[in-house]
Amino acid sequence: MTTHTHWSPGPAAWQDDLSPLPASEWTLDRAAHLLAHAGFGGTAEDVQALADAGLERAVESLVHYERIPNPHMQPFVESGLWDPSLTSFPDSRPDATDRAEKDGASMGVDVKPAGNRPVQPVSDRFFYWLRATMLETRRLGYWWANRMLQTTHPVEQKMALLWHGHFATHENKVRDYRKMHQQIALFERGATGNLRDLTIEVAKNPAMLYFLDAQYNVKGAPNENFAREVMELFTMGVGNYTEKDVRECARAFTGWYFDDLAFKVDPDKHDTGTKTFLGRSGDFDGVEVLEIIFEQPVTAEYLAAKIYRFLVRDELSPALRTKLGTVLREADYEVKPLLTAILTSKDFYSAASYGGHIKGPVEHMVAMLKHLGVATMPGVPDFNQSTIAMGQNLLNPPSVAGWAGGKAWITPGLLITRGNVARDVLIPDMTGFRDWNFSAGTDDVLGQRLRDGYDIGAATAVNDPANMATFDRVALERDEKFNTRISGYIGWEQAARNLIPTPRDAARFDLTAMVLTSGATTTAEAVDYLTGRMLRVPAATAMREALIAFLTKELGTDSLERAKSYMEDALRMTAHLVMSTPEYQIV
Amino acid sequence: MTTKNPLHESGISRRDLLQLGAGGLGLGLLGGIGPVPPVLAQASRSVAANPTAKILVVFEWFGGNDGLNTIVPYGDPLYYRHRPTIGIKEADVLKIDAQFGWHKSMLAMKHLYDEGKVAIVHGVGYDQPSFSHFTSISFWHTGAPNSGNEYGWVGRTASSLDPAGARANMIVNISAAQTLAVKGDTHVPLVFVDPMTFQRGVFAQEKAVLDALGANDAPVGEAHRYVLQVTKSAAQASEVVRAAWSRYREKANPDLRLLDLDKVAALIEADFPTQLYYVPLRGSLFDTHVNQAAPHDRQLQYCADAIEGFFAEMQRIGRADDVVMYVHSEFGRRVPENTSLGTDHGTAQVNFVIGNAVKGGMYGKPPSLSELVLGDNLQSTTDFRRVYATLIAEWLGADAVKVLGQPFDTLGLIKA
Repeated sequence: MTTHTHWSPGPAAWQDDLSPLPASEWTLDRAAHLLAHAGFGGTAEDVQALADAGLERAVESLVHYERIPNPHMQPFVESGLWDPSLTSFPDSRPDATDRAEKDGASMGVDVKPAGNRPVQPVSDRFFYWLRATMLETRRLGYWWANRMLQTTHPVEQKMALLWHGHFATHENKVRDYRKMHQQIALFERGATGNLRDLTIEVAKNPAMLYFLDAQYNVKGAPNENFAREVMELFTMGVGNYTEKDVRECARAFTGWYFDDLAFKVDPDKHDTGTKTFLGRSGDFDGVEVLEIIFEQPVTAEYLAAKIYRFLVRDELSPALRTKLGTVLREADYEVKPLLTAILTSKDFYSAASYGGHIKGPVEHMVAMLKHLGVATMPGVPDFNQSTIAMGQNLLNPPSVAGWAGGKAWITPGLLITRGNVARDVLIPDMTGFRDWNFSAGTDDVLGQRLRDGYDIGAATAVNDPANMATFDRVALERDEKFNTRISGYIGWEQAARNLIPTPRDAARFDLTAMVLTSGATTTAEAVDYLTGRMLRVPAATAMREALIAFLTKELGTDSLERAKSYMEDALRMTAHLVMSTPEYQIV
Repeated sequence: MTTKNPLHESGISRRDLLQLGAGGLGLGLLGGIGPVPPVLAQASRSVAANPTAKILVVFEWFGGNDGLNTIVPYGDPLYYRHRPTIGIKEADVLKIDAQFGWHKSMLAMKHLYDEGKVAIVHGVGYDQPSFSHFTSISFWHTGAPNSGNEYGWVGRTASSLDPAGARANMIVNISAAQTLAVKGDTHVPLVFVDPMTFQRGVFAQEKAVLDALGANDAPVGEAHRYVLQVTKSAAQASEVVRAAWSRYREKANPDLRLLDLDKVAALIEADFPTQLYYVPLRGSLFDTHVNQAAPHDRQLQYCADAIEGFFAEMQRIGRADDVVMYVHSEFGRRVPENTSLGTDHGTAQVNFVIGNAVKGGMYGKPPSLSELVLGDNLQSTTDFRRVYATLIAEWLGADAVKVLGQPFDTLGLIKA
């Protein structure tokens, strides 16, 4: 009936039961289930190793990963786009140019003493950094994704990804890849540590301080942005505090700010008065209100449920939520005991937890490469373009609420895109690929016009002046302080000039060797091997038959021995079709 | 604007099409794209069950439209003091009253306004406004300013209209990536730009396997059931959208073509069961920092012409009474012009609600041009969620308090 001969979800009665799975119930299939949920899946060899270790040691090796060597983790190599003159980057281009007109310089660039567009260098500088930090952030995302692929600590990376979407900040607003890098490092370091400590560190993290407007939260004029989100999104959820609590909480955080990459408190701007918060009174500071928040049972339930939904399945009962909250609270917010409880539980191996989780795009991309046995994130297709197309822009979650996850990952268009991305990985378009990091996008036309000898006024006209109707012949070359449109283009050029290129090689793998090594001799066995390796939920019989018919037709034989010299592309198309199934989107 | 009915030209009436569609007729004779199986039947049955469904089209003018140069306060001398160069001259204003007039490029909107079909809402914004395009638009998308919500206001409206999520293709989003506004927990929005590329990228020899992709009638759980359902609806939707588009005869209409409203008209004509359409303008065309006049003149004209053209299409199709359009941006622009003959990011903006069902006129208090806030900006007078509440409750008849999480006074701009 199914292609997945060893598929062994536990009985429905195990659902919501946190008691440990008996050792006798440990199977190869359950080891695959464990790795797919706790990490990003893996090769047949990875799964076999966990199966051989037994349940307890398998979970321990995943959760207590510190003792396992992680030899492939490389530090992020910066392109060198930042320099200290960018430390207090203006909030907006008008801020930058206004500042320059007043002070004669901004961001380390002087206003010209004479001539047309005297402030142009400052405007250019502003756009340089906008582009530079965006491009470097793409490299940072690629670097992080490569870590997810190469790590021997998959739980660490999976949880860091969770915290990135939970304590969501985006580079669009932060405008400093260094702060984003610092924040990812925090999420990795605190991935499975103490959640109270992590939340306190997040509250002191420069990217977060900037993102939620800490600089505007001062004694006498509190800004409630962080105070509201810390309760609504980071710890308790709506309905568990009052508007008064939000205001009082904001007062406690007054005076918190950052200086470049360092956390600071300005005592003059901190409100030392008495605050009444969640029924307690005192001259609380930010750390103390966070400690009060972590005394609330609802906080443990909220966070435990978030972890569970991210790792196991999208739906959980109120009863299970309460149980998980109790585990987390009794562990004093240490994450590892909760992870161990979840991953060893009968509930985790119950039928409800099989296929209950829709993979997010980043998780999906990493899992695809793991399934193919690829050692390094390919450059073609581009990781960021691929995941953006599937609905997840790493380091740029859509809002402070992070990614909705679950069903929101799948629309008809996004589902089709997942299949199309799988094809781009399996059969990359090497000759058609263009590197978007070296494109000015819609500003490319400006570069062409400048090189064709247009002056700046003509180059920035909306239509091509060479073909322009008289209606549009308004103010071409003219006197002005600066021209932001040309700055937009120049910013791309200046940033790209110093950007370290992303290697644009295809994913390296060999499906022919993989299938033959498995012992498969027929097209049916090849299909069964590929689906067994990739799917956590079996495909329908009709799909299996269609795949076998496809592969047999492509090879002109059902014998792999006969076809082994030419079967790679047909196997890759088969894998593409497997990765396009609805079953491949879930674990 | 042509009013010829292509279905009449083909000798087949709309009623016939519904009946034929329900009977499983292929579209081949109409659109020339070969047989299209039960998908049309499905789309047609849905509308037949709900033939008078009200439709909301949100037309998002991303980039930050300059409201002061859209509905021009030409009667206020302060306007010209703030905008000595780029202010719209009184002679170029299409006057509404002694105080306000339409930008000269918006003759088409003036026509609709004079017919009583346009509500102008002044001073729309929110407290503690963000000057970032992305942050501000996320506030508008979620309906949660300076806060967050994982779902968008349009997605939540769909949930309120159809809590069980039983209706397919409830939301259509003409966009390369899904707009946050349409993200919901009960409905899968149909998201596409080019109907002809909304399809799987497959090699010719792989096509034979595609039909088997969703061939699983024994889902192991809810997530599996959902991805199976989307797999089927993706195949169907991509086919039915392409079929509707192939059949649509106004593709060359220059008024509609540039701004994606033609795709909405095509689906409405094809009797899609969609009640919520979301069309964000691509590119930041309203982000007029530099030499604003030429691009802004042109952009307003394109948009105004597109809206008038769209409603002419609705008239032709026979659905003009069933469609209301809402136009907003993520913010307005700074009151004083800048040094580059443009304007920078600002706060409050002007919104439009358009349709036969709309009580035309001006709503909301126009912000003062003398008491500027937050560095030369307009003080907003109408929370944007009041407009949302109006559309959700007064037009669609859904539960605005549930969708927005709190009550907002509606504006009373929909005819009873």
